[in-house]
Amino acid sequence: MWAGLLIALAVYVLFGIVPMIANVVMSFTDYTALPGAAVHNIGFSNYSSMFGSQAPGFDQAIIATIVFVVAVTVGQNVLALVFAHRLTGGGRAAALGRVLVFLPIALGVTIVGLIWILIFNPQQGPMASLFGAFGVHSAFFGADNWAMPLVILVQIWQNAGFSTLVFLGGLRSINPSIYEAAAMDGIGRWQRLRRITFPLLAPSVTVNVLLALVGAFTTYNLIYVLTDGMYGTQTLGMLAFNAAFGSFEANLGYGAAVLVVLFLLTLVVALPMMALLRYRERRLFG
Amino acid sequence: MTRRPHVVSGIAIGILIVLLFLLPVLYVLMMAFEAPSHFLNSPLTPGSPDVRNFSGAWNGADLGVELLNTIVYSVAASALSTILGLLIAFPISRRLLRGHSLVYTFCFVGLFLPFSVIPLFAEARILDLYNDRIGYIILHVEPGLPLAVVLLTAALSAVPHELDEAAWMEGAGYFSYLGRVVVPLIKPALLIAFLYGLLGVWNDIIGPVVLLANPSLFPVTRGIYNFFGSNESEWTLLAAGIVIASLPVVLLFAVSQRQINRATLVGGVKG
Repeated sequence: MWAGLLIALAVYVLFGIVPMIANVVMSFTDYTALPGAAVHNIGFSNYSSMFGSQAPGFDQAIIATIVFVVAVTVGQNVLALVFAHRLTGGGRAAALGRVLVFLPIALGVTIVGLIWILIFNPQQGPMASLFGAFGVHSAFFGADNWAMPLVILVQIWQNAGFSTLVFLGGLRSINPSIYEAAAMDGIGRWQRLRRITFPLLAPSVTVNVLLALVGAFTTYNLIYVLTDGMYGTQTLGMLAFNAAFGSFEANLGYGAAVLVVLFLLTLVVALPMMALLRYRERRLFG
Repeated sequence: MTRRPHVVSGIAIGILIVLLFLLPVLYVLMMAFEAPSHFLNSPLTPGSPDVRNFSGAWNGADLGVELLNTIVYSVAASALSTILGLLIAFPISRRLLRGHSLVYTFCFVGLFLPFSVIPLFAEARILDLYNDRIGYIILHVEPGLPLAVVLLTAALSAVPHELDEAAWMEGAGYFSYLGRVVVPLIKPALLIAFLYGLLGVWNDIIGPVVLLANPSLFPVTRGIYNFFGSNESEWTLLAAGIVIASLPVVLLFAVSQRQINRATLVGGVKG
């Protein structure tokens, strides 16, 4: 037993905990991973240069991250709530709907990203034809005012199915006798939704909001596929990646520092949000 | 009559789901079967089916090798993280060690750790795991581990302790007890942990970019991504590549759809 436990924990520590700590350590160095290059302790230089003029991408990345996170968290949960509310049934149509909204999860980030690149391809894509019919011509993922909204939509498309399934679980756990009692009291559909269903979904709302929030903060796989962080879509995660592995830089220390800022920002937003949602749950359930 | 608005909004949502989720996928499927010349003239309507895109993509992107790589990486890494998860979860759930709840919390925290690709790249270089099949698998075991521990600890709490005592009195070894008695009892949870791990490896596109250099080692995600870069504007060919690349994972999820439905209700996954 001990052998198994220790090996498993060793893997977790070596590839989960150690990189986490190493990331913080690296953020105080000028590490480049070039063979033979000396590594120096440069204190807080990586952090102070984020706010300096040498790294103009940082302010823009903070704004891009906040826009992306807010839009995705709200959009994904609203859409998932609407879907889940309609897909609770035992019928064939509802079952098919559940499969369809889950499909992007199975397809995975890369395939999903490439599918939308095909659909929004500015030359022959169906969206180019559709918008062209209204006289709107754009490079879509290659246009400054289109890229960010589209990236947000694809992120929501990719993950709405997951949130929907969490909400479905929450809806199924609501005791039907509550609805029967409400029906006897002559409560209308809208009131039932607002006063019974939504409050009783509080635990699922907590889970979904936090998952969408943390997911949106930390994602960069999808943005990498769609735009590589260009056209105003360079979030902090993308900035870290590009600083460390982009074609012009190999500044792993700086990238690590950006990841530390991203991690702290995620905590600063997610922890109070979690406290707030838990407080709401307690208040609703007495 | 009072049911009418209910039905109407139900149909509206149904149409929305079909438009949003089925149409894009069907469109790419249609594209994949289009002759390039037909697609160029009328991109929105299907022509007579042409399968040459598939052979073109298969050969052009080296999809055979890459699909095999993807299957090996994702199955091996997520199988390992499921097994290691069980090796942590069992002693926790049976309180066989002092501080079992501390170990649980320690693993739970891992759900929120980001995939720190920058230090992992450095670590891969130092430990000689860079640009290496085995190394790539080892580096992808950890992301699935925390969720496996959480899911399996929950599942194990439903397995009666009396079974442990009976088995140990008969002198069954620890690992053979786990394999023969425990594993069959928690199969659904094991499958869920396995699928989550698999999805994590499958979704990772930064990993193959950073941790692999040799094209013969690329998983199909990076292969198809590069194929996009080198065949710009050959849309029908790219569509066929997408269809081929997504087949294995779509088949897998079609087969285990029922379990996924249950799985995702548990909530909690690492982005």
